[in-house]
Amino acid sequence: MKEVLEGSHAVSQAVRLAKVQVMSAYPITPQTHIVEALSEYCADGTMDARFICVESEHSAMAAVIGASSAGIRTFTATSSQGLALMHELLHWASAGRLPIVMAEVNRALAPGWNIWMDQTDSLAQRDTGWIQLYCEDGQEVLDTVLQAYRLAETVNLPVMVVLDAFFLSHTFEPVDIPGQDLVDRFLPPFSPKIALDTSDPFAIGQMAPPNVYMEMRRDVQKAMEQVLDIFSGVEQEFLNIFGRTYGPVERFYCDDARIIMVVTGTAAGTCRQVISDLRSKGEKVGMLKLKMFRPFPVNLIREDLGRVQKIAVVDRNFSFGASGIFAQEIRAALCNHPGHPPVFGYIAGLGGRDVTVDTLSEIYWKTKESDAPEDESVWVGLVNC
Amino acid sequence: MAGYNIPDTDYMVSGHVGCPGCGATIAMKFALKAMGEKTMVVIPACCWGVIAGPYPQSSLKVPILQTAFATAGATASGLRAALDMKGDSETTVMAWAGDGGTFDIGIQALSGAVERNEDFIYVCYDNEAYMNTGVQRSSATPFGSRTTTTPGKGWKKNRKKNMVEILAAHRIPYAATASIAYPEDMIRKFDKARRMKGGTRFIHVFATCPTGWRIPSEMSVKIARLAVQSNVFPLYEVENGVKYTINVEGSRPVADYFKIQGRFKHLTDEDFEKIQNMVDKDWELLLRKTSYFDRLT
Amino acid sequence: MAQEPENGKKIPLFISRSHILTDVNKTGSWRFVRPIYREKTAPCSTACPAGQDIPRIEMFFNQNQFEDALNTILFENPFPSVCGRVCFHPCERVCNRAGLDEPVAVHDLERFIGDAAARGELKPGLKKLPAKGKTVCIIGAGPAGMAAGYFLSRMGYSCDIYEARSEPGGILRWGIPRYRLPETVLTFEIDRIKQYGLKISCNTPVTHDFVEDAKNRYQAVFIACGHGRSLKMNIPGEHMADDGLDYLNRLRKGDTAPSTTTAAVIGGGNTAIDVARSLVRQGTKTTLIYRRQKQDMPAFKEEVEMAVEEGVTIMELFSPVKIEKHDEEFVISLQKMKTAGMETDRGRSRVIPDGGPGHQFRTLKIFTAIGAEPADPWLSPLQKTDATLDLSHCTLADSDPPLLYGGDLTNAIQSVPDAVASGKQAAMAIDIFFKQGRHAITDRLNSCRVGNGPALSMARYMGEKQRNRHEDVVSFEHINLDYFPRESRAETKTLSLDDRVRSFDEIKTTLTIDRALKESRRCFNCGICNACDNCRIFCPEIAVTLHAGERQIDLDYCKGCGICVVECPRSAMELQEEG
Repeated sequence: MKEVLEGSHAVSQAVRLAKVQVMSAYPITPQTHIVEALSEYCADGTMDARFICVESEHSAMAAVIGASSAGIRTFTATSSQGLALMHELLHWASAGRLPIVMAEVNRALAPGWNIWMDQTDSLAQRDTGWIQLYCEDGQEVLDTVLQAYRLAETVNLPVMVVLDAFFLSHTFEPVDIPGQDLVDRFLPPFSPKIALDTSDPFAIGQMAPPNVYMEMRRDVQKAMEQVLDIFSGVEQEFLNIFGRTYGPVERFYCDDARIIMVVTGTAAGTCRQVISDLRSKGEKVGMLKLKMFRPFPVNLIREDLGRVQKIAVVDRNFSFGASGIFAQEIRAALCNHPGHPPVFGYIAGLGGRDVTVDTLSEIYWKTKESDAPEDESVWVGLVNC
Repeated sequence: MAGYNIPDTDYMVSGHVGCPGCGATIAMKFALKAMGEKTMVVIPACCWGVIAGPYPQSSLKVPILQTAFATAGATASGLRAALDMKGDSETTVMAWAGDGGTFDIGIQALSGAVERNEDFIYVCYDNEAYMNTGVQRSSATPFGSRTTTTPGKGWKKNRKKNMVEILAAHRIPYAATASIAYPEDMIRKFDKARRMKGGTRFIHVFATCPTGWRIPSEMSVKIARLAVQSNVFPLYEVENGVKYTINVEGSRPVADYFKIQGRFKHLTDEDFEKIQNMVDKDWELLLRKTSYFDRLT
Repeated sequence: MAQEPENGKKIPLFISRSHILTDVNKTGSWRFVRPIYREKTAPCSTACPAGQDIPRIEMFFNQNQFEDALNTILFENPFPSVCGRVCFHPCERVCNRAGLDEPVAVHDLERFIGDAAARGELKPGLKKLPAKGKTVCIIGAGPAGMAAGYFLSRMGYSCDIYEARSEPGGILRWGIPRYRLPETVLTFEIDRIKQYGLKISCNTPVTHDFVEDAKNRYQAVFIACGHGRSLKMNIPGEHMADDGLDYLNRLRKGDTAPSTTTAAVIGGGNTAIDVARSLVRQGTKTTLIYRRQKQDMPAFKEEVEMAVEEGVTIMELFSPVKIEKHDEEFVISLQKMKTAGMETDRGRSRVIPDGGPGHQFRTLKIFTAIGAEPADPWLSPLQKTDATLDLSHCTLADSDPPLLYGGDLTNAIQSVPDAVASGKQAAMAIDIFFKQGRHAITDRLNSCRVGNGPALSMARYMGEKQRNRHEDVVSFEHINLDYFPRESRAETKTLSLDDRVRSFDEIKTTLTIDRALKESRRCFNCGICNACDNCRIFCPEIAVTLHAGERQIDLDYCKGCGICVVECPRSAMELQEEG
């Protein structure tokens, strides 16, 4: 059944359909609509679940860690400062191998206060051991949340489903909300591999001395290494039931492209328009939408980008003292690939600044007209002040 | 078992790595005797994070969930919610934190959980400093104490935070103090807390630390008792934030308690007089609360 | 079910999750001191001439193990009801509880237990060892002779007791008035001793020839016939005075008519007091004349005080020099004495005549009670050799078969518990003599001493487990007072003064059961494990185990923190250095 929903509510609907039993969150703009809707579902009995209104994001993650450790399907949502505050607990969730799913609304970090779109918050958590999936529209958000549970509960790693502040969280779009029966076919009840039990008592999370710590962390990585494979199976099943698929990366006019633009999130929608316009003018340009950031799909990147002439990466984030984070990761993925093309890194749309058709066109032409990148990162759309 | 009504079964086991004479291990032993096997223990960073056993060991026969320093209140809330959703109302969740994880870094999550009146028992075993990290001062460190961060002439000049009063001010069903030197009283309180399902029960357990307090290990229980006998650590209960019951009335001078501990050995008679005055006033306040709320109810 | 990975690979899931307990860590290796259970001796036990294990008696009692309490007494002393009345209870004088509030009423508790047995509520359960095929001749059925017979019988010896008087009991029967010791009490306890099979021949006075003959007929002879002859003052007119002990004998027989209106009693010992108080009960205005200070009287203080309460007038520091009869009245000439320094060995003041004028005291009757001595010279070893053993409570003559003298014949303090001590020592000496020979007696007896005192423990002698009476004595500082709130001592009900002086009824009543139990809980149980369980309760290592009532330290885990030792309220544990 199609409904016109804002992206936030696509998340809430997916959480409802996933029959999550314990949720905990602390309000932060622009995540609030997600948790408000979930609170209503709990209050009106739509969901048989507990929503724990904690006093901070740190506690929110701690609470879902507590619940997940008892073998219950859990959910939380946050953004920006909240995610930064959660940071410590993100490690607890992943190394505890708890299949928690979190919606993360990309928002800029203070100071000065800025509630608008920016990816630095989620990308700053890249080393925490969470799977990260970036979404373009409301439908993808809903579908990805459902897939995230399958994925998380299979590999025993937490998943962060990332959506742009306002551009996606607060934008109304038609979204197909699947029936519960179909969702139940796709996502059976949670059967935990780790669950505290008084009849079989054990301790979890206790001290791991040097003789075991490395092996435990190696296992997180081994699980990560299987994510791509497993995600493709999950997607195949999703496709069979719901008729939709996304892929860890999406290729748009890539087959004969000489320049490929790499984008994420809602910018991909804008970029599709730009590519179509450029193609109609005869430009050999394509787009690669990166959905999965962790694990980073190195082989797919090499396969898709290794033989083109130039790569233009649009980063709505920045790692100070280095470069845009997606560009950095793509460069790293390609560096051992013989004859790889130059990677042009562009920084655009930080702190809620719009990434328009013009912004992306400018990036394309700048790339086409330069033999080599003029800098590791070129900041686009700066206003002199 | 002359005079005691102490359950025989232990859910703590030997071979843990607590220091000789560790009050915190005695506290756990007593607590679990009352709590029984249907208990899940949430432990944030603290001495017990180590005593509970390194991988692959556990020193408890009940499930343990170790968690981040500041999170005992929140993690326990989540665990409780999960058990509720699973329909397990029999199991009790017991958060077990040190004074750092309760008075300092964990107070926010604790206050949050307590305000929500989460259905669990929160225990602070108080050894009055950050012992696990090598005896640094906490807001539970008493006036007069030396620690590694209040050394020499910089001994702590601030009072200890009154945690039970903070908790009682949340108007939770039950807040109480307990001491390892009074097993019967302590076990009774844990048993009472266990039976009082449906809200937060807070128990503040005085647990000596021979290592950090610079006392002989064999004096561990004796000194805990002296704290009660001198009203430095009164044993009392507060129900619903208003009904105060004092369990033991002390009558010994505070110097009896302070003078035998290395952490206070620099204190002078003048200091003892000051401390005695503080303790007397605190005790007077406690008595007034007891009678004031008695009149109200 | 969780989905199996679509690619068929297993998901590695190595996390910090326990699958064993910490008990694999043998933390005992941390230890440099080790706690041990080591019982010590209570001061009361060392002070008790009979060496009773008092803290254990009170422990059993307050744990409602009344028969165990009785048997613990009977192991060392066959006369709990008697001693619970007439013993001067030195145990209470050294009771550690006095440091906190007041001594435990050990004396009254002993009486309670003895009387419960007399009422048939408790059954003694002490076994007899198999018969040894040896018979011992005992002369005198007083407390020492009866005690010797009792202990020897339990050890498997046959005993023939010869008693001059018509019934057994000696001084207990003939010398102690009814208001202190009812006859029924004595008879019950003597009958209980008889049940061990000893043979008592009454109305059988013994001669020296009889003893010489007995040495041929028996394997050992123990003479404990007491002091049969009263001491003389050696003053003119002495023959006109009555013998105090003889008066008490006649009282017991019931053939004494109400006495005269006034009487003087000369002496300061228990017999003098007994005579004086008995006279008061017969309506006589009685004056006691003593040559030293009242405070130096050998009589029990309590008895002296009661005598004064009952109306006995005490004239201290008066020494009789002459007795004359004027008509119906006696006139005693008295020399006033004064103190002159201390006697070095007895802790009392030396007295000398004050040099002043003489006094005269008029009375209708005079009784002397200044002590007694053996009736015949053969009642002590006729000749002492190197082989003669002078023990604390008896003397073993150089003869074969062994010939021993005991009871008042040898005891420095002539009390009932000392008589029991004598009988016990004689019994042990005889047994050692047969088992190991004369040379072994001293060392073997020493090994059975209670604490650091002279009293002997039969339990220790007979190798009873858990009754190791350690030479270390618990002092007040060893007690953990945290476990003992102050509580007042039990007071027994006594007859009113009016009732006391009008009859020979027993003055004190036995404690009620509730009060006795409460009183027994006041006992610190110094030095013995009363299973309070503190060691196990407080052990942070769960290294104190309990198997079949026995607590043990699990050295695999004990880190040697010492909490168990400090929290032992009664000093039954200690720390020992490792290695």
